[in-house]
Amino acid sequence: MSSETLDKEGVTRRDFLGLAAFGAAIFSALSVIAGTLRIFKPNVHYEESKKFKIGKPENFPEGTVRKIDERNLFIFSDSDGIYAITAVCQHLGCIVYTTEWGFQCPCHGSKYDKEGNVIGGPAPRGLPWFEITQNVDGTLVVNAGKEVPKGTKYIFA
Amino acid sequence: MLSRFYLSLLLLSGLVFIAFITLATYRELTPEWKKYQAEYREMLIKNAKDEAAREKARRIKIEQQQIYLAGLKRVDRCMNCHIGVDNPLMADAKVPFKQHSGDYLKNHPPDKFGCTICHNGQGRATNKKEAHGKGRDTHWDFPILPFKYIQNSCAQCHDYETLRHKGGEMVVKGERLFREKGCKGCHKVNGIGGDLGKALDGIGSQPIAYFPMRHVVGEQTTYNWLKQHYLDPRAIVPDSEMRVFLTEEESDLLTTYILTFRTTEVPREYRRIRYVPERRVDGESLYKMYCIACHSTGKVSVYDEILKRTIPAIMNPAFLKNADDGTLRKIIKEGRKGTQMTAWKSTAAGLTDGEINKLIRYITRERPDEAAEPFGFAEFKTDPKHGKELYDVRCALCHGEKGKGGKGALGINLTNPVVQKELDPEFLARTVRDGRSGTPMPPFGEEGLGLSDQDIADIVSYVRTLAQKK
Repeated sequence: MSSETLDKEGVTRRDFLGLAAFGAAIFSALSVIAGTLRIFKPNVHYEESKKFKIGKPENFPEGTVRKIDERNLFIFSDSDGIYAITAVCQHLGCIVYTTEWGFQCPCHGSKYDKEGNVIGGPAPRGLPWFEITQNVDGTLVVNAGKEVPKGTKYIFA
Repeated sequence: MLSRFYLSLLLLSGLVFIAFITLATYRELTPEWKKYQAEYREMLIKNAKDEAAREKARRIKIEQQQIYLAGLKRVDRCMNCHIGVDNPLMADAKVPFKQHSGDYLKNHPPDKFGCTICHNGQGRATNKKEAHGKGRDTHWDFPILPFKYIQNSCAQCHDYETLRHKGGEMVVKGERLFREKGCKGCHKVNGIGGDLGKALDGIGSQPIAYFPMRHVVGEQTTYNWLKQHYLDPRAIVPDSEMRVFLTEEESDLLTTYILTFRTTEVPREYRRIRYVPERRVDGESLYKMYCIACHSTGKVSVYDEILKRTIPAIMNPAFLKNADDGTLRKIIKEGRKGTQMTAWKSTAAGLTDGEINKLIRYITRERPDEAAEPFGFAEFKTDPKHGKELYDVRCALCHGEKGKGGKGALGINLTNPVVQKELDPEFLARTVRDGRSGTPMPPFGEEGLGLSDQDIADIVSYVRTLAQKK
């Protein structure tokens, strides 16, 4: 060591070279791992989008009860606003229908009230409500991937 | 203790690796589409009418846009860049932010149809070059369609009756050209048509590599190949025998129509085809569909440079006087072996007997009332030697010394198998006697150039030996 020249901090040149070399190697290895882990979080999935457009707010005047068949979803509109409730029974996934008291599942008799809370049958939980947002061009977008608390109603211009 | 050399090597390779990783990360984080989406958001914020709209615009997330179409088996990400395509506020914006033109999206919402079902291109790609699929290095067989050919996509779901009135004029005109220029005279579609050219089924779905692109000018795409091939078939396929005479505009229309011959079918729920009963086709339409490409008006026989033979004038009254329906039916059904004339019977080119009868009625509508006077060839005792002497003087000038006719000579090639084997000598003798008015062939009979019936019989018998003298 005594033959090595010392720089200001007292680190030998060879030490610095060693530190830098191993540092670079470790950094490379870590970035490879990070890059590999990135693969598990793709930008988009090869599947139907959870978000979909349902049209302009004026298509849903007060009192609307509309079932969107291809998305298994009910859209309601009352004096407090527009809201979306799933039509998929939380028991085994049958499609519920609306009744005077709320929703009825045809398969095993689960009953839900108008807000989607369980009032009878085997269903383990109430029907989830979904978020509704509005695009810049005014169309409404339901995000079936994002649940909102029961009773969340939206008012759009 | 590692030597200085190995440490330097490790450091160097580490730095090179880090450089690559940095580059990869940079490219991953700044794709082309992010810039467009950021610009789109800026435009919306700037042009917002009120604070609420501005707030909405600010909340737009820059994220991968994708339309997943299970029914069409497509995934379209075009809206990564064409982000304003269904936004009415973008009606006057510049491409790629511009709203879709016309009111097409009203009946074809993008979340149900996507983009590539009509426009082609590579829906999954996320940069312009690969998404548009242009150029051989993108390895994409269906590059984005130019506007002039786009209507071929309409025909996937709509029938021509609807397209005629509702914005599909180009493909409708193309379909009409296809019927009236006699394409099916040489090309089969659905098993019906001649066999000189290739069958056209599925040609619009064929990979680019199936087309000989060598001589195509400009981009090597299916539609460019088709169009340039209509304008000059032999410039694209040097030994092509295709007889096609189209203007530039007609070539575009026909290309649009030909691209509708696809192997893929859109699912039933997307199609809006009204199944109208097939139009009754009259003799004239049939003639245009199957015969006109070679026989054109049918009034004059001319030597054809492309087919290298004389195409007979089948609607010439002189010919019709001589050829009765039975003969015509036999020629049409069985074709002419050794020539380009196709056998049109239902088991070959696929015309029904009814259609052939309609054709014959159309072809013979100008047949003179009186039939040709019978010649009675069988009753003559013929002398081919005398026939040769007469032939050399009277016939050789037009038909050639050896009867080969051909280039520059006015007469047809007499050594062809039709004249030699298939035509009745009676028919030949009548033709020599009465001539073919409307063609250079004069009547040689006693009322014409003054040959006796015996002379004519001798000439015919000599002509029938011509093929053997090769």
